[in-house]
Amino acid sequence: MQTKITKIDRSKPELLEIHCHCISDEVREIVAFVRSRQGQLTGTADDRIYEIAVGDIFYIESVDNKGFIYTQSNVFETRQKLYELEVILSEKHFLRISKSMLLNLMKVNSIKPALNGRFIAVLFSGEQVVISRKYVPMLKKALKGE
Amino acid sequence: MTLKEFILSRLQLFFFLVTLILFASFILGSVFTPDMELHYYHLLSPIILAAACVLPTCVTFYRKTPSLLQYIIRLLLELSMIEAIVMLLITPPENSDRLTFYITLGISVFIIYVLAEIMMWFQQYQQSKKLTSQLKKLQERENQC
Repeated sequence: MQTKITKIDRSKPELLEIHCHCISDEVREIVAFVRSRQGQLTGTADDRIYEIAVGDIFYIESVDNKGFIYTQSNVFETRQKLYELEVILSEKHFLRISKSMLLNLMKVNSIKPALNGRFIAVLFSGEQVVISRKYVPMLKKALKGE
Repeated sequence: MTLKEFILSRLQLFFFLVTLILFASFILGSVFTPDMELHYYHLLSPIILAAACVLPTCVTFYRKTPSLLQYIIRLLLELSMIEAIVMLLITPPENSDRLTFYITLGISVFIIYVLAEIMMWFQQYQQSKKLTSQLKKLQERENQC
């Protein structure tokens, strides 16, 4: 696929147009990436595609190389890899809290200690997720705004 | 857990143990040898004893985060090692019942160890409270934007 970038005047709206022979997985990934940069992620549930606002996401988990987006009451599957989402969503207060989980700090109600040296994040939904010790220094930095 | 984190946690355990051993020495000494005179070098005993207790616990170092069961097994292993070392290092005073002395010593070590763990947990609890307060400030800041 060839790429072409044209600089336009600020008065005109920015537009990304894809000319392709078929809407392949690769094209869908590109679209999902662009949407995620704009505050939306694409996820599937029950064979339907949904646009999920980043602000509605509680956490994103990777299980057996598959990504899952968790909102208050729904779970969506995503094609995007956790490390890609970590980069995209870092500015939206998403933080890696374990090897397989990204947490939206804006959805955390409180943090409490776990028995085995770890911390537990209690979400506004009442759900609890474990913060690994390895990622606690990163959490402290993020909360200090570093 | 990184090696640095582990070393810090051992240092923390060391200082908690020094404090608690001093306290236990006061209680046990008052019960078993209330008339004993102490010299300045005896002040080193809690430090030496705490160091001797902490060093063998370094075998419990782990890189991967353990499950709750693995963590409890590690704690029990640590406690058993500390009990064994204290029993080896401390000899009962003359004119005292050996069995009573060792039972009391064993119970004291157990209480000291549990107290040290509680103190470390309390420190973690304080840390979690601080994190929650920082989190709330971040959320307020973002909601105002």
